[in-house]
Amino acid sequence: MFEEHYRYLESIQNRRDYIEDQIQTGSPVIGLVYDDGVLILTLTSSQKLYEVHNHLALSAIGHTADIERLRLLVTDSASVQGFQSSIDDVTLHRLTNFVLCPPIKQSFESVFNPPTVAKILLAELGGLNRPHQLVTVNYDGTTSIQKHIAVIGGSEDIEELMRDYIDQTDAGLGDKLTLQDAFELAIQTWAVGRLANQRSNPEIQLRPEVAGYDVERLNQCLQTELIELYVEAGTLQTSKRGKSKFRSLTDQEIASFLPFEISGDQR
Amino acid sequence: MHRSSLNLDPLAQQGVSNPSILQQAVDYQGDFLDLLRANNVRFSALHNQKSSAETLGQNHSEELIEGTTVIAIRYEDGVMVAGDRRATAGNVVMYDRADKVLEIDEHSVMAIAGSPAIAYEMARTLEHSFQYFRRTQLQELSVEGKIRMLARLIRDNTAMALQGIGGVVPIFAIYDSNNKTENLVSPSGRIFFYDVLGAQFETVDFATSGSGSVWIRGVLHYLDRWSETRLSQMDINQATSTILRLLDTAAEFDTATSGTNMKSQIYPIIKTVTQDGVQELSLDLIQQVYETVVQV
Repeated sequence: MFEEHYRYLESIQNRRDYIEDQIQTGSPVIGLVYDDGVLILTLTSSQKLYEVHNHLALSAIGHTADIERLRLLVTDSASVQGFQSSIDDVTLHRLTNFVLCPPIKQSFESVFNPPTVAKILLAELGGLNRPHQLVTVNYDGTTSIQKHIAVIGGSEDIEELMRDYIDQTDAGLGDKLTLQDAFELAIQTWAVGRLANQRSNPEIQLRPEVAGYDVERLNQCLQTELIELYVEAGTLQTSKRGKSKFRSLTDQEIASFLPFEISGDQR
Repeated sequence: MHRSSLNLDPLAQQGVSNPSILQQAVDYQGDFLDLLRANNVRFSALHNQKSSAETLGQNHSEELIEGTTVIAIRYEDGVMVAGDRRATAGNVVMYDRADKVLEIDEHSVMAIAGSPAIAYEMARTLEHSFQYFRRTQLQELSVEGKIRMLARLIRDNTAMALQGIGGVVPIFAIYDSNNKTENLVSPSGRIFFYDVLGAQFETVDFATSGSGSVWIRGVLHYLDRWSETRLSQMDINQATSTILRLLDTAAEFDTATSGTNMKSQIYPIIKTVTQDGVQELSLDLIQQVYETVVQV
């Protein structure tokens, strides 16, 4: 152990600062429950949305290599458990609490090993007597369980702002949202997160800005971002035929859900 | 700051790095069997195969459940695969509602013939293997990869097959949207059959397996060659009635194949593999075709 206690605290704080600095510009990810399951959406330049098991999906922000390791860890574990036992035993609770969180926490606190630079969002499609669930796992291994919405962004401030934006819209949540409604709300929330990330003075309090994000401004932001990025969205869909309930939205679906026409130079 | 003063654990204090589980993560390149091996989970039918084979071989009172007829034909929309419902042990009917046509993924099915204990486990392993590859490698396993994976499972089962107690001779049907056979890319249904050692063969228009198959293989050849409508040109109704008639024929001569039991509402399982995916024909449709075309 450390001979001097404060050096351990200092190194942990340094680690925290380092990781937060690394993920600060990460493209936010939004998970929303809608009337037929769960939608996960982000704008990205490479794949960030993954199927983990028949009823589980994962997305993350952070370093690609770390995300890959965590994704494989959780996918391997779910695959073995699902094969040995039953899909009903592969639950979000077990995967986050017993598979993901302990090594992430260990990695965060092992100050001589490279840190894991990743924040994760996991979604689980519910069933009879089991509601849909969304869980976020922070880079230090702490989790947060949500019923209707979950967001991960570059900082806690940005995440709070995005949640506030969803709260102040009158779109309703959960069963009240169609896939189209959920898509629009998610992509606008993404734009809120992006604008907050790009603000000129990071010291400005974020919360008062929520009211200033009118839809026109958000669409303008999206149109600019779509030149470099593309929309990646997927659902865990109750009504989908077959055992695997995950599917990525097609380009046609995304184009029809977007609140504006995509021009030639947009992806 | 001295590095030694920051060491968190005894190994690190001795200069030995202690990589976390995350750093030790292994990439199995999408190979589900390797993942199972690494986790000490085995394709369970093969567990202690020698001892279980010896035990069963010595104990003649233990009859193995087997006996089947499964058929796959190419029709105009893809492939239609069907199987009777009977599972037998010697001359005893053990079960009359078995499903021998198993959906492996959205565009493939495996029709099983042989030892059900191993065949069902093989199908389950195959299903999980395809899913695992897709989920980890972020792309579908190729058609060639899929048929070789099944060949590998059958080959791994050689010991049981050679001892005569655990052979599996399946038919694998898949809709290949990128079929490059003969250098032409044209989507089509494809049928593969295997021998008991895992050799794979692709048939053109039909395949049949199981104890009742010997009675209908010639009929299938005749229909494919000389009937007014060739198998590959049949629509779904013609293909369904042909398959129901063939299974009835097999049941007539093979005690291990069940026919149709209308009184108990037991009809063969029939699945189609088309561009739209795998679909099971409804009981109503099969019943209607059987009553109007077969039972005349």
